[in-house]
Amino acid sequence: MTAVAESYQVQTRRNRMGFWLFFLSESFLFGGLLVARYYLWGNTRPSMEDTVIGPLHISYQVIPLMITAVLLLSSFFMNRAEVAIANDDRKTFSRSILLTVLMGLIFLLGVLIFEWGWKTVDGQIVLGRHISPTDGVFGAVLYGMTGMHALHVVSGLVLLMLVWNLGRKGHFSPEKHWGVEATAIYWHYVDLVWVFFYPAIYLIGVGVHAAGH
Amino acid sequence: MRVLKLGLVQGVFGGILGWLFGFALVIGSRLLLGLPAQWNPNLTGLAAYEPAVVVAGIFFVVGFMIGVGAVSDWLKWARGIDTPFNHGARIPGTSELARYFNVDYSHKVIGIQYAITGVLLLGVGGTLAMIFRLQLAQPELNFVPPDVFNTMISAHGMIMIGGILLGVGGMSNYLVPLMIGANDMAFPRLNAFAYWINVPGALLLCVAMVIGGWNTGWTGYPPLSAQAPLGVQYFFLGVFFIGLSSILGSLNIIVTTMTMRSPGMSLFRMPVFVWSAFATAIIQLTATQFIGLSFLMVLVQRILGMGFFDPGGPVWSEVDKWAGGGNPILFQHMFWFYSHPAVYLFVLPGLGIISELLPVFARKPLFGYKWIAMSSMAIALVGFLVWAHHMFVSGMSNYLRVPFMMSTLLVAVPTGVKFFSWLGTLWGGRIEFKTPMLFALGAISVFLIGGLTGPPLGTVATDLNLTDTYYVVGHFHATMFGGFIFPFLAALYYWFPKATGRMYNERLGQLHFWLMTPAFWVMSLGQIFVGMHGMRRRIATYEVGLDIGTAQMMVTIAGFVIFISVLIMMFNLFVLARRGQRAGANPWRSRGLEWQVPSPMPEMTYPATPVVVGEPYDYGKPGSIYVQFAPAAPALHTGASITGGD
Amino acid sequence: MDQGTHRRSYRRHFIIVSILVAIVAVISIVGLWAVPEFPSASTQAITVNWLFDLHLAVIGFLFALVMVFMLYILFVFRRRAGEEGDGDHFEGNTKLEIIWTVIPLIVVLSFGVIGAVTLRDVTAAQENEMTVNVTAFSFGWQFDYPEQGVEKATTLKLPVGRPVHFKLKSLDQDVIHSFYVAEFRVKQDLVPGVPTELRVTPNVEGAYRVRCNELCGTGHTNMLADVTVVSQADFDAWVAEQKAAVSPERLAAMGQELHASQGCIACHNVTGEPGGVGPTWKGLYGSERQFADGTSGVADEEYLRTSILASQERLVAGYAAVMPQNYADVLSDQQVAALIEYIKTLK
Ligand code: HEA
Ligand code: HEA
Ligand code: HEC
Ligand code: CUA
Ligand SMILES: [Cu+2]
Repeated sequence: MTAVAESYQVQTRRNRMGFWLFFLSESFLFGGLLVARYYLWGNTRPSMEDTVIGPLHISYQVIPLMITAVLLLSSFFMNRAEVAIANDDRKTFSRSILLTVLMGLIFLLGVLIFEWGWKTVDGQIVLGRHISPTDGVFGAVLYGMTGMHALHVVSGLVLLMLVWNLGRKGHFSPEKHWGVEATAIYWHYVDLVWVFFYPAIYLIGVGVHAAGH
Repeated sequence: MRVLKLGLVQGVFGGILGWLFGFALVIGSRLLLGLPAQWNPNLTGLAAYEPAVVVAGIFFVVGFMIGVGAVSDWLKWARGIDTPFNHGARIPGTSELARYFNVDYSHKVIGIQYAITGVLLLGVGGTLAMIFRLQLAQPELNFVPPDVFNTMISAHGMIMIGGILLGVGGMSNYLVPLMIGANDMAFPRLNAFAYWINVPGALLLCVAMVIGGWNTGWTGYPPLSAQAPLGVQYFFLGVFFIGLSSILGSLNIIVTTMTMRSPGMSLFRMPVFVWSAFATAIIQLTATQFIGLSFLMVLVQRILGMGFFDPGGPVWSEVDKWAGGGNPILFQHMFWFYSHPAVYLFVLPGLGIISELLPVFARKPLFGYKWIAMSSMAIALVGFLVWAHHMFVSGMSNYLRVPFMMSTLLVAVPTGVKFFSWLGTLWGGRIEFKTPMLFALGAISVFLIGGLTGPPLGTVATDLNLTDTYYVVGHFHATMFGGFIFPFLAALYYWFPKATGRMYNERLGQLHFWLMTPAFWVMSLGQIFVGMHGMRRRIATYEVGLDIGTAQMMVTIAGFVIFISVLIMMFNLFVLARRGQRAGANPWRSRGLEWQVPSPMPEMTYPATPVVVGEPYDYGKPGSIYVQFAPAAPALHTGASITGGD
Repeated sequence: MDQGTHRRSYRRHFIIVSILVAIVAVISIVGLWAVPEFPSASTQAITVNWLFDLHLAVIGFLFALVMVFMLYILFVFRRRAGEEGDGDHFEGNTKLEIIWTVIPLIVVLSFGVIGAVTLRDVTAAQENEMTVNVTAFSFGWQFDYPEQGVEKATTLKLPVGRPVHFKLKSLDQDVIHSFYVAEFRVKQDLVPGVPTELRVTPNVEGAYRVRCNELCGTGHTNMLADVTVVSQADFDAWVAEQKAAVSPERLAAMGQELHASQGCIACHNVTGEPGGVGPTWKGLYGSERQFADGTSGVADEEYLRTSILASQERLVAGYAAVMPQNYADVLSDQQVAALIEYIKTLK
């Protein structure tokens, strides 16, 4: 048995390149969803019912905008975490990661509860307050895009928790923290995807009302 | 029981447990939500539980990967435990053979695992072809019922293509590090993962045949695939995971090529195979996402009712037609955006192998090295712009036909550069006809038929006649045999002595060639002929009136001859060669890096760093050297552990 | 050998091989053109055949060029017994590379232009077109002639020489099929939700076949319809016949024909053989049927009608619910009646 191991620097350089290639590949996945969106929706988009909670009357556009803002803000804290670990500031690191996780969760729940929504039909809880996955191409594409993105958010959250846990156990150092860096790039990337998805779903095209909803 | 300790066996166990878990998970949650366990009361058997079967299939793969041990290191890293990176048998004391049934990080082991799995898949696909070819041997035979027939051709097509993808993986994983003077790939753990995920993927493909089969061809067009029997779901999943392997494997190849070349090996001093592997990797890395996504979309259309491709979906008010129903043509665009570039990824490594072998056996430099290297990149890039030539009659917008016809024809130009440069390479050589060389030359002749039958498909007017007939079948068997099967066989024979240290039997090798090549010509020319005489694709039987019985019979017989010739090769390589002559380090007198070290190669191929000082193909130039080995081995960072390594 | 003699012998070889290439090219082009052609029967076919022959000429030439060159080289520059040395050393020739990039480039660009022109010829609208609406479904064809007022014909009759504009559609709940008459040389897919079209001018009288050319499931192989191209007079007579009321005796015969042309044959045999996708029709009428939900009933006319139009309402025990659900859209009342009459005759 012979051991081969490259120096940390060399391996990290390769890791970085590999990671960017991975994102290039993922761009084709998300690009494919955008293609489907433009092909099937053209110059239209679903316009949904406003949310009414008691006396509150919230336009359906408000919540997506809010959670988008939260997600973008989370990227800032992710960045702060990375800078912190590079300066060996563990406290800021821990706190920033947790804040990022919190904001990611807010985003995720925002999508799950307000955007997808749940309602009861014949005593059964089903998906889709405004629009359900079975509502023609509007439902299909909307759930396809948000679902694929949410899947990435969830895996990002898992990575964040892992990194946080390792950091808590004292695993990273200013010189060696590829794990943090990777998680940060991943999180920024997932954010960036949303920057393309959000307008494609909520802004571009003429809002159209669902028949019979 | 030693056998039970093998990774493969544990993987299968893990897979079965995963399957049961996934199945129970869906059924359990349905029951919890107060839904009936059966998804569709109109169906019987497994089909009534389709969502559960799909989720179970995914957990089958997860269970397999955990069981086989392909993710053990990563799971440890997640918990902060370092795992030193080792080359060599993982469990000390086990036999060398056992390495091939376990997760192993050596690129040489992984390359061979890929290649053998690929050959196995080709065998399964070939056997299916033999069965349905019997039915097609004469008109109006009916012993294979139509649904079984459809399943068989679909499985033949997809399993063969899976076999090609694995074969390509085998060649690039084995050869790229050797050729650039590296001891392994950039990410060995990822490499092992990428190989192993093929195994449950291929198993799903095979299982798909028995849980109802599927009748869509390898292209899986909806709406047919949205209504096909249950097997189509495992076909989708199987392709999905094999595709994931492509993506991860190609990423590894690119990083390896970019960062791990020996000192002195500039881009234009790389062996030309590395260029083609690189071009292939670019295609695999990007386009593969589209087949995965398009299949995923049909998968969810089936189980969640998301009507991407369902034109009968509910229609919304105030919108034009398309905002209401889905569009089946979107699927074809997405599918071919991968699957056309994919056909070039089947051939590029093969053409690379041809370019690699000709100089060795002609004892001459590769004619126009840079042109050949660049033509691979050109084929790969132009290949992204031609996909809709599969859709000339699909009902897509008519104005798309002409631009796609133009781009399609353009691919002939870089391909031609390769052909003519090969002739230039041979001209003036001292040509030696060993089995690998024969197969390389045979590949040229076969790929020529395949390539030349391409342009009539590329011009729309003729394609209106030819599309979806056996002409197309003849075209693509010739391209895939010439571009992949023949070069792959050449590579097997050529690197066999390097990998095993033994020589195969030259006589039998030649026999294999002389059986296979004429048989192949008959097969593909026969297919082209019947295609032009009214034989449609994908039909279980044909009318007597077409008068093509004789040609069909010859195609069938030729198919069997090919099958037998491959059996001869298996016998030669796996049985006879065990007692074969010892091969020296460099039986072909090649200039390649890997031929300068002993056969079989040591665990670390290059204990001393190779330094490239010359051109790779300078045969016939006295005193020209390609590689020197650094006098003293530089100190390796032995024992250094890396967290977050790959 | 020194460089000079090499050059000279190279030139000699080059001349010999060029002559050989020319000879073989002529032989292979002539040979390829001599391969018997499938009969053709439309004006579009003339254009298609012409373009294909042009391709064959290029193929014949390039095939000869590469193969003859290669075989000649392999022969002349083979390693002779006892020879040890290497070949001549030259690494390439930029001028040559440019030549064999540019010439093929010109060839393919010309083919692109020719391809575009022939495409226009093949798809151009003609004067005095007759419209035929084609509906495809699993697994049969129907043809409507709006101009003549003929509906749901199951075979395609065309007057010779008259340009036809096919308007093609597949039903919304159905799958993709493809309309192909090999003698016409052109085809077009029929896609659910996407109307498509095709133009053909039949120019030879005779009997041909529409063959579905896109894999569509169990009945794909047999998804055929007869095509007859006839004189205008015969066509007019046929139209009149189609519109005349059908005598009850002829219904059963029509049903027999529908069994094949509408694809029932893919799943139902009439010979009583077991093992089909659907139950055999032999002895079906009047028999006692067992249903999947445990009930049973007698196969009377009403039952047969429901079975055809909405087969899943009462599923026969032991069979899967795979029978197409769109026959209500496809079959006319008369055709359903014809099928029932036919089933009645199968004792
Ligand atoms: C390895 C795989 C491979 C390769 C390399 C190719 C190469 C080419 N293919 Fe092929 N093709 C397939 C695999 C491949 N194909 C498969 C699998 C299908 C069917 C899929 C399915 O439906 O199931 C298919 C189908 C297919 C179609 C769709 C047919 C249809 O369904 O209607 C078309 C149409 O344009 C096409 C065209 C071409 C062309 C123009 C090339 C060109 O790249 C060929 C270029 C090469 C040459 C031309 C020869 C050498 C060149 C010279 C000697 C130079 C001079 C030449 C000229 C001036 C012409 N192919
Ligand atoms: C690499 C790709 C590949 C290869 C090698 C082959 C090989 C063969 N193919 Fe295949 N074929 C396809 C790819 C391939 N095919 C594809 C993609 C389709 C389209 C499917 C679709 O329409 O969806 C197709 C479709 C197809 C059709 C058309 C079916 C139809 O449309 O109805 C036919 C018909 O003749 C055919 C015949 C054959 C024959 C006789 C061989 C013979 O050459 C086979 C010879 C046998 C072997 C090469 C295997 C030898 C191996 C062993 C003997 C090892 C045995 C040992 C072990 C089991 C370990 N093929
Ligand atoms: C894809 C296969 C398929 C095709 C095509 C098909 N059928 Fe069926 N058919 C079935 C199956 C399976 C059953 C039994 C299950 C059921 O009742 O739905 C059936 C049942 C029937 C029955 C009831 C038979 C019985 O035994 O009680 C009738 C009548 C019938 N079909 C008529 C037709 C006619 C008429 C056509 C064509 C116009 C046709 N079928 C086409 C598959 C098919
Ligand atoms: Cu309809 Cu094939
Ligand atoms: Cu293609």
